[in-house]
Amino acid sequence: MMSVNIQLKKGVLELCVLSILYRKDCYGYELVKQISENIEIAEGTIYPLLKRLKDEGYFATYLQESQEGPPRKYYKLTELGKKTKEQLEREWMSFVDSVNRILQEG
Amino acid sequence: MNKQQFLEKLAVLLKGLPQQDVKEILYDYDEHFRNGAQEGKTEEEIASKLGDVRQIANQFRASYALKIAEEKSTPVNVFRAVAMTVTLGFFNLVIVFGPYIAILGVIAGMFAAALGITVAGVVGIAAAIFSPLFWEYISLGTSRAFVFFLSVGTACLGVLIFIADFYIAKYFFKGTVRYLKWNFNIIKG
Repeated sequence: MMSVNIQLKKGVLELCVLSILYRKDCYGYELVKQISENIEIAEGTIYPLLKRLKDEGYFATYLQESQEGPPRKYYKLTELGKKTKEQLEREWMSFVDSVNRILQEG
Repeated sequence: MNKQQFLEKLAVLLKGLPQQDVKEILYDYDEHFRNGAQEGKTEEEIASKLGDVRQIANQFRASYALKIAEEKSTPVNVFRAVAMTVTLGFFNLVIVFGPYIAILGVIAGMFAAALGITVAGVVGIAAAIFSPLFWEYISLGTSRAFVFFLSVGTACLGVLIFIADFYIAKYFFKGTVRYLKWNFNIIKG
């Protein structure tokens, strides 16, 4: 069952990243922090995910100066990323609904 | 582990990836450390939250191996991608990897069979043609023409099987890449 667990976590993680960026553009540290505050994960493993999603065209990056220090790399969803987020969210909601319905029948 | 140790170890483990990629990856982690430091965290704290450097590097390497295997599905590239995926634990060792190796063995066996049949045909053709020159050594036991045409047929069959094997192997490797990608990338399903 281990692989199912990993698959589930991975899939959910992708949706989380897309959802956070759907609300606003973020830099890496900010994004990692928001996720790790809620989901237990080795923070370093989020960057490979970010790179992969970027390579596949779900978001673009740009550099922006920050007041406190060096410039930061911001992630911004592309049209494909937005559409994918909406679709994944629908799938997630209907999945959770189905599971809940089964749980409450008992 | 401090920032420098973390980045140096990561750089070593990422060897083999394109320079540009490595530069970008190191930049990202460097930025992560700097942003953490601004929040007053120590380098050791940040590094320990980032987790195991080897596991991080493996994820980047697996992504890259898969990309290469997708662009060019040669047996070596595909096998590298499989190996990297195994190290990540996505490729279920018992249920998937065992049968996978078994199928690879069957495909290798089919190539060996094709080779054997082709060689048998070629030897038969040679025997039919040259048997009069070596009459002391070669005894066909039947007409030369019969042996000749039978051997031509055998050689052709061997070549046909070889071609069929080639296509089977090709689709098998393509299928492997698709499976790995699916494992790796839920989004595309």
